[in-house]
Amino acid sequence: MTDQAPEPAAANPALREPAHQVSSKAPVVWAAGAAVRSLVVLVVLVLASVFDWFPVPLWAWPLYAVLAIAYVVWMPKVRYRIHRWESTDTAVYTQTGWLSRERRIAPMSRVQTVDFEQSVIARFLGLASVTVTTASAAGPLKITMIDKPVADRLVDDLTRRTEAEAGDAT
Amino acid sequence: MSEPRQPTPQDGPPAQVPLEGLPPPTVPQSAPPVEPFPWRRLDPRMLLVHPVLELVKFFPFLVGIFVLGRSGEDNWWQFIGVGIPIALGVMRFLTTTYRVTQTQVELQRGLIGKKVVTARLDRVRAVELTSSPIHRLLGLAKIEIGTASGGKQDDDKFALDSLPMAEAREMRVALLHRTEAPASFQLVVGPPHSDDVSNGPSRADVVLVRLDPRWVRFAPLTSSGNVIAAGLLALFGQFADRANLDIVTEKQAEGLLTGISVVLVVVLVPLSFIILGAVFAILGYLISNWGFTLSRDARGLVFQVRRGLLTTTETSLERERVRGLEVGEQLGLRLAGAGRLSAVVTGISKDERSSTQLVPPAPIEVVAHVGAELLEDASPMRLTLQQHGPAARRRRYTRALLGASVVPVLALVLSLTTPLPWWAVLPALSTLPIGLALAADRYRRLGHGLTEGYLVVRSGTLRGRRDVLQRSGVIGWNVQQSWFQRRAGLVTLVATTAAGQQAYAAIDIPEGMAVALADAAVPGLLTPFLS
Repeated sequence: MTDQAPEPAAANPALREPAHQVSSKAPVVWAAGAAVRSLVVLVVLVLASVFDWFPVPLWAWPLYAVLAIAYVVWMPKVRYRIHRWESTDTAVYTQTGWLSRERRIAPMSRVQTVDFEQSVIARFLGLASVTVTTASAAGPLKITMIDKPVADRLVDDLTRRTEAEAGDAT
Repeated sequence: MSEPRQPTPQDGPPAQVPLEGLPPPTVPQSAPPVEPFPWRRLDPRMLLVHPVLELVKFFPFLVGIFVLGRSGEDNWWQFIGVGIPIALGVMRFLTTTYRVTQTQVELQRGLIGKKVVTARLDRVRAVELTSSPIHRLLGLAKIEIGTASGGKQDDDKFALDSLPMAEAREMRVALLHRTEAPASFQLVVGPPHSDDVSNGPSRADVVLVRLDPRWVRFAPLTSSGNVIAAGLLALFGQFADRANLDIVTEKQAEGLLTGISVVLVVVLVPLSFIILGAVFAILGYLISNWGFTLSRDARGLVFQVRRGLLTTTETSLERERVRGLEVGEQLGLRLAGAGRLSAVVTGISKDERSSTQLVPPAPIEVVAHVGAELLEDASPMRLTLQQHGPAARRRRYTRALLGASVVPVLALVLSLTTPLPWWAVLPALSTLPIGLALAADRYRRLGHGLTEGYLVVRSGTLRGRRDVLQRSGVIGWNVQQSWFQRRAGLVTLVATTAAGQQAYAAIDIPEGMAVALADAAVPGLLTPFLS
């Protein structure tokens, strides 16, 4: 059905993971975020049991502990393994998620904008994120938590490559 | 209708107007010394449209003013209330100008804060003419222009309200048939094409399909009528409540309840609801689709849909901008051998979906015929689709049974914890076979296929659909996998596009099959990432 001659591997082709991992600082940031969120839940639970807002059964505490520890310790590890990205001459490829997983591929010829973003915390840690959008509202590729120099190089690269492409990319 | 347009005073010399009846000059004005594209105004008759519309909007306010004003002594300020809408209309007329140049169409608005909206002609995707009953009475039309921005900036939506019908049609030609129009296209007004509103598309057009009144039988099978009925019932309930319309007092109610058997109520209420829903669906179908005509211009480049009983709309779509089709196959329609068709068009945002409708609920052969005509290829509408295999089938059954078991389980819990008799669980069990039937059909419906030019995906039973997407319109892939899908080795393959819903998904497709499909549909894109 293809226009091209099928490659030998095409009998059972598989999509490999993108080549690059995000910054090694990323898990720390994710863990910190998870810790803050877990803490908020803990405060609510404690306040609820102290002021009797709603009954907090005894078994809720060990359950909370297990979930919170899994969330703070295990989630960043899994996420670090999954979050990956790659940019070739012809396409951008990302993989994100932890429980669920999403891979996005956009051809370089259809890239419309390349956004560089750095929050206050990210600037403090020397991190940045790059968002690549296409003309489809369903397809932005977000490469978050990469080291600033890497992000700079990526933006330069993408800008140079997309400039070479003509057309309105729709 | 025949009164000449007046260029605004600051425009400089008026542009050349071609002789009536003759085609406009074909020699482009080389290096024009004067502004060749004058700014134009809306039709003065719009002054009548807007005050009426504004008055309707201001109506409650006006009633308040007059009712209150009666009791007071000074009532001069009543007239301010009437004057404001009229003043607004005059303001809008005086401050709105537009023009079409060789490369773009410009709209200028605002008295103090001037705002110019510009759309490049080569980005114009669709043109829609709308005439409300007031517009039709005056021979006017509102023209809306869809551009490639995809409706991301809603405030910059390009609309001119209103132009004379004939001029709006001319402008549409200028916007869409650019290659036909001479380079120095001027908006010619009046006699050459003094079509009146009731006239159909111009002679050269080929009519593909017209409304067959018998199609009305499909209307009750869509959900819209029930929605309207439900809305009206809710509204009436609220109104009756608000107005203290105690039709039945409590004592009467008691009497009624003992008098009428509960079974009768259980049968009558849904029945009347269904009948009411059907009536509203039929009315709605007729109001929005009356006079429906789908036509194609002589060269097959522009498709045009006309419809509407009270408010008429004429939507023109450039074939070049059509990225595919959506065939709506809701369960009810499918069982009756019907379907509906809309176009997947770039430059029309999701909330303007009604303007991409090509065929209202109609026999599926009609839908397939129109689809084939539009795609210039019959295969995507006929293609036998590849099914997604045992894992996808298992997933359909688990999901359906999980959903269907909620009611019986609840009934069981209730019968154990409350005096509810045990046999009440039995009718609740009927959801299980329904769930099984749904699962079987949902799996049968699940499929994908590839033709020379198009990607076809199909899914869903209750809201079943078949999407046909141009392979060259696919501008990226999202491969989504939930935790459960990963365990089943399935993915949801989403083709992203700049048109229509922006994303079209092949649901629960085995991972290997998904990669093969994506690779085949857009050759080369995945190649560097395959192992």
